[in-house]
Amino acid sequence: MGGVHPYVAPRMSRPEASAARARLDLLDPVDVARLGGLELVSEGIVEGFLSGLHRSPRRGFSVEFAEHRMYQPGDELRYVDWKMLGRSDRLYVKQYEEETNLRAMIVCDASRSMAWSGAPDVVLPKLAYAQRLIASLSLILLRQRDATGLIVFDDEVRHVTPPRARAAHWRQLLTTLSATQPGQGTAAAPALKRVVDILRRRGLVVFVSDLLLDRDLALTALRFLRHRGHQVVVLHLMDPAEVTLSGPAEARFEDPETGAAVVLRPRDWAEAYERTVRGAVSDWNAACRRSGIQYHRIVTNTPFGHALRVVLANPA
Amino acid sequence: MTFLHPWLLAGLLAGGVPLLLHLVQRREPPTVVFPAVRYLLDATREHQRRLRIRHWLLLLLRTLLVVALVLAAAGPTVARSGVTAHAPGALVLVVDNSLSSAAVAGGTPRLEQLVRAADGVLARATPADAVWLIVADAAARRGDPATLRAALRELRPATTRLDLGRAVLSADEVLASEALRGEIVVVTDLQASALAAAAPRAPLTVARPEGAIPRNVGIVELGAGSQPWSTDGGQAQVKVAGDSGAQAPLALLAGDRPARQALATVGGAVQVAIPGAAAGWYALKATIQPDELRLDDQRVIGLRMAPLARATCAPAGRFAEAACDVLRANGRLLPGDDIVLGGFGSAASVVLPPADPASLGAVNRELERRGVAWRFGDVALAGGTDSSAILPPVRLFRRLRLVPSGSGRTGVLLTTAGEPWLVRSGSVLLVGSRLDTGWTELPFRAEFVPFIDVLLNRLARGEVASLDVVAGDAGVLPDLVSAVVKGTARWPVEGGGRFAPPDTGLYFLLRGTDTVGALASNPDPRESMLQQASDAQVRALWPGAHIVPLDQAASAAFAAGARGDLRGPLLWLALALGLAEVGLASVWGRRA
Repeated sequence: MGGVHPYVAPRMSRPEASAARARLDLLDPVDVARLGGLELVSEGIVEGFLSGLHRSPRRGFSVEFAEHRMYQPGDELRYVDWKMLGRSDRLYVKQYEEETNLRAMIVCDASRSMAWSGAPDVVLPKLAYAQRLIASLSLILLRQRDATGLIVFDDEVRHVTPPRARAAHWRQLLTTLSATQPGQGTAAAPALKRVVDILRRRGLVVFVSDLLLDRDLALTALRFLRHRGHQVVVLHLMDPAEVTLSGPAEARFEDPETGAAVVLRPRDWAEAYERTVRGAVSDWNAACRRSGIQYHRIVTNTPFGHALRVVLANPA
Repeated sequence: MTFLHPWLLAGLLAGGVPLLLHLVQRREPPTVVFPAVRYLLDATREHQRRLRIRHWLLLLLRTLLVVALVLAAAGPTVARSGVTAHAPGALVLVVDNSLSSAAVAGGTPRLEQLVRAADGVLARATPADAVWLIVADAAARRGDPATLRAALRELRPATTRLDLGRAVLSADEVLASEALRGEIVVVTDLQASALAAAAPRAPLTVARPEGAIPRNVGIVELGAGSQPWSTDGGQAQVKVAGDSGAQAPLALLAGDRPARQALATVGGAVQVAIPGAAAGWYALKATIQPDELRLDDQRVIGLRMAPLARATCAPAGRFAEAACDVLRANGRLLPGDDIVLGGFGSAASVVLPPADPASLGAVNRELERRGVAWRFGDVALAGGTDSSAILPPVRLFRRLRLVPSGSGRTGVLLTTAGEPWLVRSGSVLLVGSRLDTGWTELPFRAEFVPFIDVLLNRLARGEVASLDVVAGDAGVLPDLVSAVVKGTARWPVEGGGRFAPPDTGLYFLLRGTDTVGALASNPDPRESMLQQASDAQVRALWPGAHIVPLDQAASAAFAAGARGDLRGPLLWLALALGLAEVGLASVWGRRA
């Protein structure tokens, strides 16, 4: 769960490479983004992703096994636990905690830092990557008839789309995502508190951000969500240029949100910076793990299909 | 510190280039928008101090690198005193163990002080150095430092004088053939009389003692006048010199007879009457009371006492007759015919060329009849007599060659241009020129009467000379001498050769078993004067000499004058600085 190392695309065999030409989920994100609008691209990603799955993600994603109980007349035979029958010669049925559709809220960071890309020609900005990833994820959820909502925030909550399970709801989400413009600062706590108001029952919260925010406040809010019984997934988006420091011989590095700046030589500081980044990622991972929160770091040059697989293949 | 190319020091301004670049680079760098500045701040917060130190260290290293290169280009040289290590070099160490070094100064023999200082110099030498040692015998000995230090420990005061000017020039000649950079170190009591002008090419360091100069009185001269003395005795002259104005008690001893006492004034001469004795050879020894320098407190000469010669001088011409009259008047000659000057006598004869050339054949026939091994030959070119103990050089206007008739040339007493002029064969002396002004200038010279005295009283009797040489010098032995003896020591010699007495004292010259002369070896009178030369005098005689006290001789060695070239060390320093800069910029940069 939640790898802390940069994603490395698996080496594909020749048939896989040929198939990948038709699967947008495996292409380079910036190439995928050039193919068309958010809707078209997201559908292509989801189609490709679902065609590559060997089983439905729903099976381990939104339905949770609770306990066994004695079979009673009228119970559906498909819930009979045939293995238990074989072992104990008694009829038991599996009882699930939730048999209705999942309610999921995706919380998207749209601060100014999310609009940044170290190499705009070859790497999508984090916000653009997040938009496509969220569109794809929400399409998958809606196809499973899971109610999916969206909160967009920067230094305040910009937009709230309550969760709905209708198929047409996806286009509303797309409209919201498409209209999202980068804001100024980052204030995650209010947005996460809004989730509490929206999700009355236990559901799924997907927090998509570059985590360049107040860590303690954000963690407190995430832990509170977890405390309320929600399944919480943190998707930490990082630009490749944020992983490895580079730049001119000497430069003044300025934070687009806070205006904080530091003058240094990237060559001198590259190693120390990478250590610091590794430490920060490790701290986030450890803190989330302790709270039962899924943490995934996704570098924005990772194909969307791999990102979705990482997120969806790890049931809580 | 001096520089070979001081104008290049202007390049030191380039030392400011790194600082200038540093300041230029402090201009506002380009701004890069970077959301993860918080990570950069976290990273730099930990390493900022170290990075700042690193930047300043780099600036310092680069500045020093430029300065080192500029200084190296300017060719700095520095006096190497205080530097314990040195590059291989050549050094000639002159240790003045002349007689004056035996003086006791401050309770310690001066030589002991000199040897200690010289040992310090050699202690700094390494096997890679070429080292020579010159002492009072003036011979340059090369050896490894250990060997020469051992030789130093065995060094004793010599009875000879060391001409420091000559020693310095000799050292310079030694170094001239040496590829290594050389220098001369003279460790000396710096006796003023030992200095002579010299301008060595090699750097010269003079280590001199400090403190009071010991006061000394020594016998610088002992004479017995014309010899032989008659058996009635004679007058000895003693001259005393020194740094003290006090009178010095003096004792003279002839043979084993009771000593004669006298009081000599320093700087003056005193006559002491020596009583007569039986005919023979005696050692006449003069001594004074011991003082700080013992080796010059005694002097000795050979003293011959014999009956006066009885001679006839008329056949030799009027000048010789007049000289004999003077000798008779002064009690140096008695009338008689034991010796005939200018003709043939019954006993001894001094034969001169006949005034009438027609008589030459008769004279030669008479010589042959008497068994004389020499003849008069033809007329030879004019010239002068060679220097000898018998007679100083005098001009000769005419002379006849003296031709040996036997198988060898023996009995030559005096020569002119290498050819015999005065010879002896048996009881006959042959002189190549008549003793008048038509043949030689000798009658006009003051040495004429003493020469006639020597001729009649000594040479005609078969005796040669009483030689006096300075300690360390060699004397030319007369032809007929076959051995030299001193006490029980005996040295077989060949007449006409040189004999260097191994020590001071009196040596008797033998022909067969007969004593025919004496050779006295005494210290050089100049050694008794212990007055030191001033630094100014030294610099006047030895321009550029570096004068140091004895205790600084070791540190000045391998350094004085030959200034250390700092270009090599500076280039190494620049290389080290460059490597340090590269290491700091790369290794530390990766660790930052």
